[in-house]
Amino acid sequence: MIGCYDFCGHYDWTFDWLERAGGPGLVREYWEQAINQDSQRHARDLIQREGFAGMAKYWGHTLVEESPELGFAITEGKDVFRIDMHDCPSKGFLIRNDLASYQDYCDHCMGWIGPMMREAGFAIDHEHNHQGQCWWEIRPAGSPVEPSATGGLAGRHDVRLRPSWQAPGTALDRYRQAVDPDDKQG
Amino acid sequence: MSTPAKSALPYLDTKPQGSADFYYAVNATFRFLLRRLGEAEWRRYLEELGRGYYAPVNTAWAQGGLPAVARYWRDFFAAEPGAVVEVSECPDRVELEVRECPAIKHLRAGGREIVPQYCQHCYFCGAARAEAAGLTFRLEGGNGRCRHTYATPAAGLAPQDLAQIKEAGV
Repeated sequence: MIGCYDFCGHYDWTFDWLERAGGPGLVREYWEQAINQDSQRHARDLIQREGFAGMAKYWGHTLVEESPELGFAITEGKDVFRIDMHDCPSKGFLIRNDLASYQDYCDHCMGWIGPMMREAGFAIDHEHNHQGQCWWEIRPAGSPVEPSATGGLAGRHDVRLRPSWQAPGTALDRYRQAVDPDDKQG
Repeated sequence: MSTPAKSALPYLDTKPQGSADFYYAVNATFRFLLRRLGEAEWRRYLEELGRGYYAPVNTAWAQGGLPAVARYWRDFFAAEPGAVVEVSECPDRVELEVRECPAIKHLRAGGREIVPQYCQHCYFCGAARAEAAGLTFRLEGGNGRCRHTYATPAAGLAPQDLAQIKEAGV
């Protein structure tokens, strides 16, 4: 049986298998169809229906269940929903167990959340450092508002304040007004 | 980590059990592979997952024999929320009596359309893992209750009849 306890391990392995079987496009299809439209349809329906309130309900529940040590913070502002992930339970599992089948596991979040937000009329500013730390700012698509300055929205909860955010050897991936994993700016 | 240091599981989390909503993703992954690539490729995925991702477990089974198999599955199901499974050891086999499959239970509770072939994944993945460890694997039942048998070649188990694996559903 394939279990849920080590799900992130075989999920990561599956990305690599799909890429070998059908190239990068097949991985994108998988995130969009299998994860956004099927597995996470409860999140998709909730956010399409309730917008920011739906995001608060979905991530409030999911992150607490997956990260009971509360290695994250949620900040709700006017026309913005922000997540600061200080200790990603998913990437953290891979790091602790020395698993890295796929070239960039962190891409999977934009792979399904991006299309979900596009369908719901939102766009995403996002950075991740491949060490289990990232931040997300979700605003209505077409918003002229720039991403917040460090600490400007989340205060002391801003993950960018951590010394480890840009530790030597850490590479940041950046997205601006993105809805697709290939919107990555490097 | 809260999981016992002597766990037979190769990959350990900080939580004692996984998040059951991940069963939604497993089911969705199967649906995607079956629709997009077809049944033969889905089987190939499961077999390669069994030989590749689970290689550390297969090695432990090859080295530790049936006691290692039994220990692994006890620890495995202890980490799966909602599982009701009895693991028994005989001289030539280990049997898992799954009285309540945690995946089928959660998928039903969540109102998810379960892929009819869902229960076959345990066979194709399990058989590949057993073969890598020098064992044989058979599966009987399904759709929430089933019996898994891992045996030595000397047990002489009859070939797997896929018709003995029930379709999954509501």
